[in-house]
Amino acid sequence: MSQVIVNAIVSAAGYLLVGLGFALIYSTTRFFHFAHGIVVTAGAYVAFALTAWLGLPLWTAMFGGIIASALLGGIIELSVYRPLRTRAASAGILLLASLGAYVALQAVIVIAFGSGTQTLRAGNVPEALPILGARITIPQIATIVVSSVCCLFVWLLLTRTQIGKMLRAVACDHDLAQVCGIRGESVIMAAFLLGSSLAGLAGVLLALDGDMTPAMGFQLLLMGMLAVIVGGIDSIPGAALGAVLLGLTQNLSAWWLSSKWEDAIVFAILILFLLLRPQGFLGKPLGKVTV
Amino acid sequence: MEYLLHVFVLVCIYAVLTASLDILAGRTGLLSIAQAAFYGVGAYASALLAVRLGAPFLLTVLAGMVMAIVISLVVSLPSLRLQDDYFVVATFAFQMIVFSIFTNWMELTRGPLGIAGIPQPVIFGWHVNNHADFMLLAAGSACCAYVTVHRIARSPYGRVLHAIREDEVLARAVGKNTLYFKVTVFAVSAALAAMAGSLYAHYITYIDPTNFTVMESILVLSMVIIGGAGSMWGPLVGAAVLVILPEALRFVGLPSSVAANIRQILYGGLLVVFMILRPRGLMGKYAFGKGGTGK
Repeated sequence: MSQVIVNAIVSAAGYLLVGLGFALIYSTTRFFHFAHGIVVTAGAYVAFALTAWLGLPLWTAMFGGIIASALLGGIIELSVYRPLRTRAASAGILLLASLGAYVALQAVIVIAFGSGTQTLRAGNVPEALPILGARITIPQIATIVVSSVCCLFVWLLLTRTQIGKMLRAVACDHDLAQVCGIRGESVIMAAFLLGSSLAGLAGVLLALDGDMTPAMGFQLLLMGMLAVIVGGIDSIPGAALGAVLLGLTQNLSAWWLSSKWEDAIVFAILILFLLLRPQGFLGKPLGKVTV
Repeated sequence: MEYLLHVFVLVCIYAVLTASLDILAGRTGLLSIAQAAFYGVGAYASALLAVRLGAPFLLTVLAGMVMAIVISLVVSLPSLRLQDDYFVVATFAFQMIVFSIFTNWMELTRGPLGIAGIPQPVIFGWHVNNHADFMLLAAGSACCAYVTVHRIARSPYGRVLHAIREDEVLARAVGKNTLYFKVTVFAVSAALAAMAGSLYAHYITYIDPTNFTVMESILVLSMVIIGGAGSMWGPLVGAAVLVILPEALRFVGLPSSVAANIRQILYGGLLVVFMILRPRGLMGKYAFGKGGTGK
């Protein structure tokens, strides 16, 4: 049982990192950025390329992966979303474009690295440490620590600093923020860079612990998205709560039923939440239809 | 020649799928990423009936469509109350659940092993057992699907769908029960997608869950949008372009493993490019969500 809880917390930490970045971008731009998934994958694969092909030390390579993710996020924003926004495209169009970008970029990764699994680890699987009757690996501990720190950092950034205020102002009303002298486009870019580097962080940490496949980001993105929707997409504590609940549901359902049904169960929960409480646990109610 | 007929049959099957999505996305403005789910429901329902019970072709097609309609009601009645992009996420989640059922309900669907030996169709004594015959059947189905979609779109019912696409609040303000229209059009769309699924299952005679992934849904959506949503020929053109273009890549001499990925890059990239440069698609008149900002 304690192993189930440890596993739940480990997966929650990963979802939270991906979800935080996604929520940061969603709350400034109000659309579902599906290409965030490929940003996660790209971080892991760039780190892999740097160690396996260029022989850089692991730490440098991980750092490189995170930078690459941030850049990729920025490039997608600049080349795809910004032109669309200047044409006043709706959230639906942005969503479609992000799906297109995801599909295309995933195929690029498959061509470059093959569709099989890769790993960042050199040599053996690291020894797991026993804690309270459960086993946990060093990368897993790192994921939990980094994820909690990042969560705290983003929360402080949003609620206590000038840039956080600017982000929230743009999220609330892009035009009004512009009128008040906030450069909306730069703020959105900042959200993309920060959100994408969180995604890259998630990518390299999870690739360090487990394996990586070109589709890893999509699964993670869905789970991250689910966590923040369940928790309330505009609320950082909500996202953390959502991630832990999601991790628990997943691992408990795998434990009681069978791991093959965990996907179906969590997506059913997502639909229930969308229907009954679309603002999540801690979120504010969404504006309904605007005329 | 056989090969050309095969490509033509695939274009027709995808044309049925794009027609089914067009009535939903193009005519009514409801984006759905669950089309492959209904496609799969149709394919599995008719394949299982044919293999396990030996049911005749037309009956299995009909059963697949009815099954899809029933499931579509379960999904749409609650989720169509959602706002635009939350509806997209709900269809997405539904797609994932259906895929998970196809993969994991071993007793029924045999999971990743798939269902083999699906009989070729027999319609009132007409054995559809070669490519030319199948071409006729597929082309006939595609025509049926197109005629249905156009009859619906031009009817008074279709005008209400159009009104919902342009301004749902206004449609409701003039006394239309928009939920009723959205639920019924979702059911029609699901039924047509299921028909495409049955055709596919009986044509290839083997199905497994990888035919009905979320990527397939995105592919169909790309076809509709690249062709031109809500237009007469758009969905057909989209299906033709996105089936034939990757087939053409084979003749450039790319290894098949790379070709599959080039195909993905092609439709993903085209989707992005079209959204930016020509959101109404090749033949279309309607661009998604033109005007409105941040809605």
